[in-house]
Amino acid sequence: MKLFWPQNGEFEVVLKKLGNQQLLSPFDDEVVRFTQSLSKRLLQYRQIPEIVALGFWLRKTNVQSMKENWETEKSGKVIKARGTVFHIAPSNVDTIFVYSWMLSLLAGNRNIIRISSKEKSNPLLDAIILELSRPEFEKIANMTIICTYSYEEKATKILSSICHTRVVWGGDTTVQTIRQIPLASMANELVFPDRFSLAAFSSEVVLTLDEENLEQLLEQFYNDVFWFDQMACSSPRLVVWSGEKIAQAKTRFWKAFERKVYGKRYELMAANQVLKYSTSLWLSVNKEVSQINNKTYFSRIQLTDFSPEVRERHCGGGVFFEYHVNKLIDIASIIIDKDQTLAYFGYEKEELIELVQKIPTRGLDRVVPIGQALNFDGVWDGQSFINSFTREVTIL
Amino acid sequence: MTIPYHLTKTEKESQLLAKLNDLTKWHIENSPEYKAMLEKSSAKEVANCLEEVPHLPVQLFKLMDLKSIPQENVVKVLTSSGTTGQQVSKIYLDKDTSVTQTKTLVEVMKPILGNKRLPMIILDTKSVLKDRKSFSARGAGILGFSNFGRKHFYALNDDMTLDVEGLQSYLKEYAGQRILLFGFTFMIWQYIYKESLKQEIKLDFGDSILIHGGGWKKLKDEAVDTQEFNQLLHQQLGIREIHNYYGMVEQVGSIFVECSHGYLHTPSYADVIIRNPITFEPVPFGEQGLIQVLSELPKSYPGHSLLTEDLGTILGEDDCSCGWKGKYFNVAGRIPKAELRGCSDTFQGGGVG
Repeated sequence: MKLFWPQNGEFEVVLKKLGNQQLLSPFDDEVVRFTQSLSKRLLQYRQIPEIVALGFWLRKTNVQSMKENWETEKSGKVIKARGTVFHIAPSNVDTIFVYSWMLSLLAGNRNIIRISSKEKSNPLLDAIILELSRPEFEKIANMTIICTYSYEEKATKILSSICHTRVVWGGDTTVQTIRQIPLASMANELVFPDRFSLAAFSSEVVLTLDEENLEQLLEQFYNDVFWFDQMACSSPRLVVWSGEKIAQAKTRFWKAFERKVYGKRYELMAANQVLKYSTSLWLSVNKEVSQINNKTYFSRIQLTDFSPEVRERHCGGGVFFEYHVNKLIDIASIIIDKDQTLAYFGYEKEELIELVQKIPTRGLDRVVPIGQALNFDGVWDGQSFINSFTREVTIL
Repeated sequence: MTIPYHLTKTEKESQLLAKLNDLTKWHIENSPEYKAMLEKSSAKEVANCLEEVPHLPVQLFKLMDLKSIPQENVVKVLTSSGTTGQQVSKIYLDKDTSVTQTKTLVEVMKPILGNKRLPMIILDTKSVLKDRKSFSARGAGILGFSNFGRKHFYALNDDMTLDVEGLQSYLKEYAGQRILLFGFTFMIWQYIYKESLKQEIKLDFGDSILIHGGGWKKLKDEAVDTQEFNQLLHQQLGIREIHNYYGMVEQVGSIFVECSHGYLHTPSYADVIIRNPITFEPVPFGEQGLIQVLSELPKSYPGHSLLTEDLGTILGEDDCSCGWKGKYFNVAGRIPKAELRGCSDTFQGGGVG
């Protein structure tokens, strides 16, 4: 067990102290001030885009609008924080735990966060510790534990038995392993298993773009794909093309995208190059794969059908499955439970709603414009954090 | 002229290219998987030069079974060494490929070991040979090299301890004779060298010649390089002549052994090409890159042209001062593992206690 926050103390003692802290009202002033202060600090990390994105999400206007929406929605109701929220953060999308912690804190809860241990320095954690150390945020500091421990330890069991909400990020295996560990009877649980995401482009609309707008689209698509090396749940891995000018649109798009990735100096690593190469050849044996195309910056795999098995073989780092349809609505039949985000370009809202209505499976929780695939939102995988982190008291 | 290190660049290239093109054609006709890979990736099926011969990544043999013969013709399955939990490569051999493999190994080693079978000490345990139908890389290596020696003695007990007594009496029995030693680099380092150092056992292997291979990956942490390895083994065990070799289970026939000047050489039926690790384009001699290995042997499975995950540098061709022809090169080690960030695997990174 290693404690990052508080910086000193025995785990048992710290845990006991945390349990004695008063809960806050939703959107408590000190918490709002804390989010502003943290936001300012995070926005300085210009060289780490995902930290800037987090800082941007925490900016004053956004938190203010969250508060206003909340107040409108809950007006006349008595809402309280749930208590102690235990967050198990994913190993590598480092910023995720801050989103779930911040929403829980805004709801008024005490928070215990288990992050993955890293030998490397962690600038995000350093920034958080600096903010927690400031005297004006003492209340928040006292209701926060950030730690890491190995899986063998009993900590997960202990924390699961005392928390009021458990939040598990980290893929199918982690979710299943953690679910074996009993949760306090009164607690609720949010889990975030592995998901798969896709992008869809209207071939006609892509061809109508002028150079400047195409450039902008590519920039946004680049961010969606490469910010987390195409390994985030929301990173698009399948690219769907619709319409009647698919061949031309693809040629134009991918040629320009290759230049974009080159210009971005995206760091390529030998092992990943070999992995992409092996993966594409491995997949080429499948009947549903009609063609593979390995370029230095990315590999493209043409599909005539799209099975769950193919999804599982995706290795990240710049591999695109491609699938053609006449109309966007035709993808309804290939969407499975696991599919999370559809990042789109060139469709009307009615078409998107029509598609979502037609999907027979559990699939698709987010449909967002290209460029917003990774934008975190208070509603994730179909559930509202702030609702799950609070409870409504009925008074008649 | 030293066979099989006798062909010059032009002679070798035309012979090897024709054979490799035939193999590509054979595998397209006999392995539907290989055919799909080549067709769907629009690969060139007839190459005009060695660089154009389509290659498969070695990793692929860990992901899937690939063979160009019916299952009933399989006489031997080789598996790569891998730590527990790791996927291993499976290489299927039929009688022909297996026989040619043995013959080739003899030819490659002949210039170093000569024609006579030497008394042989295997610096490993006998237990790695238990399963005769499915061989690990270690087992296959031992079995292959055993042909060069007689009166085989295994220096390690089953529990990996050094059989000091047995070793001493063997050395006494063959004192004054040239002895062949064979083993895997890491095993020799860990269980022979370090153990004898720890137990203060001074051994003298006398006029012996050591052939070792298997890679330096595990020795990297201890920062031991070839020179130091050779020097320490000479000091502690009195081994005077040491030849490292480079090869992999995934490509039978590709055994590249160090010449008297310490460079790995390509024999006439195999070759190496160094490629840029990012673009996979061939790089000039002297530049480090990913090693691609070519061999005219693999007929039972499509492994005649493989892109490895090892880094190496070609130092020249046909002009090594040792007198052997062919490309001569060195191997720097494995490329670092890919570490892509993702949402999954919260606990796999492990934590501090």
